[in-house]
Amino acid sequence: MCDWCEKYGDGYERWYFNPANYARRLYKIRKEETEASGAEANPQAAGGMAFVGRDFLEARERGDTAEVERIKQQIEGAMWLTHFGQVITLEEALKITDIMYPISLITCACRRSMEGLPDDENFTCMGMGAGMYKWERWPDTYRGGVHFLTPDEAKEVLTKLNKRGLVHSIYTFGTPYLAGLCNCDYPDCAAIRTAIDLEIKILWKGHYVAKIDPELCNGCASCVHRCQFRALSFVPNRNKAYIDQLQCFGCGLCATECDQEAITLVERASLPALANVW
Amino acid sequence: MLPTITVNDEKCKEPISCRKCLLICPTHVLGLGTDVGPQKFREIDPSHFIVRAVRFDKCSGCMDCVNVCPQNAIRVSFSGGDAR
Repeated sequence: MCDWCEKYGDGYERWYFNPANYARRLYKIRKEETEASGAEANPQAAGGMAFVGRDFLEARERGDTAEVERIKQQIEGAMWLTHFGQVITLEEALKITDIMYPISLITCACRRSMEGLPDDENFTCMGMGAGMYKWERWPDTYRGGVHFLTPDEAKEVLTKLNKRGLVHSIYTFGTPYLAGLCNCDYPDCAAIRTAIDLEIKILWKGHYVAKIDPELCNGCASCVHRCQFRALSFVPNRNKAYIDQLQCFGCGLCATECDQEAITLVERASLPALANVW
Repeated sequence: MLPTITVNDEKCKEPISCRKCLLICPTHVLGLGTDVGPQKFREIDPSHFIVRAVRFDKCSGCMDCVNVCPQNAIRVSFSGGDAR
């Protein structure tokens, strides 16, 4: 079972369907450093959304697995308490828009960092919950401003972003308080690239795993470009798409693109080898 | 092999409006950050933005960023020592 559902599900099917996680503990976790002064350099910001330092990459290059594991656990331990995400499907994202309020469309901090994307081209992220009412305290975090959306407007935006090929994921801000619904792509998303390039679990896999029905797959390959997790490829000899289920994050982007309905999402929990692979 | 990639912030004055290096890098190595933390009730002045090699482990050494930079502010070195 998913650790977070176990700890914070409270009887709901998923922890992110539990309304308490969108309101509870709000503002209870405060950062140690005094942000108000603004005098201290912020290493994360200065590194452009980097979660790891050179020491990790050097340890990895020289094959020091013990050191790699130590740094990895250190980062994961800290992030799981404060700020990490889990992949969700479009269907789940749409359902969440009826659970949490308010919903706001904001600019994506990752793409601002990695592309320097102008604000008006960058409204792909959603902030949610009561914390959004005080967004003006942090104008730099919310560069470009904030659009508050109705649940129906939010559904429309999410559907459009899914069509564009962006992965939906939900993020804690002081676990288990959920306050971010991001729409991401590799490699500019710091969470996706840290998860798949560095195998540091800042982004957890979702509750589903994609599966191809080889009878229904007509080899059109339109799904292949949809995968952000290197789980989907194409086998020319069979003229079929191929999904590496061990690598699949269960976002469902490949399935929403397939007009043959050849890709289905199966419950991760139903697959013995994958039930505990997050 | 891991490179050392340095950006001379004195030369790189307007990374937000320029961002040529960010967009030309084939492996999206470079990113924008700020040399100050978030400030309450005001946006960070553009002069505090800096370019850093966020994903330098993905650098192939093609030198496109070095060549595209109008200020000649980027150095990429695979020699292990100081960037040249």
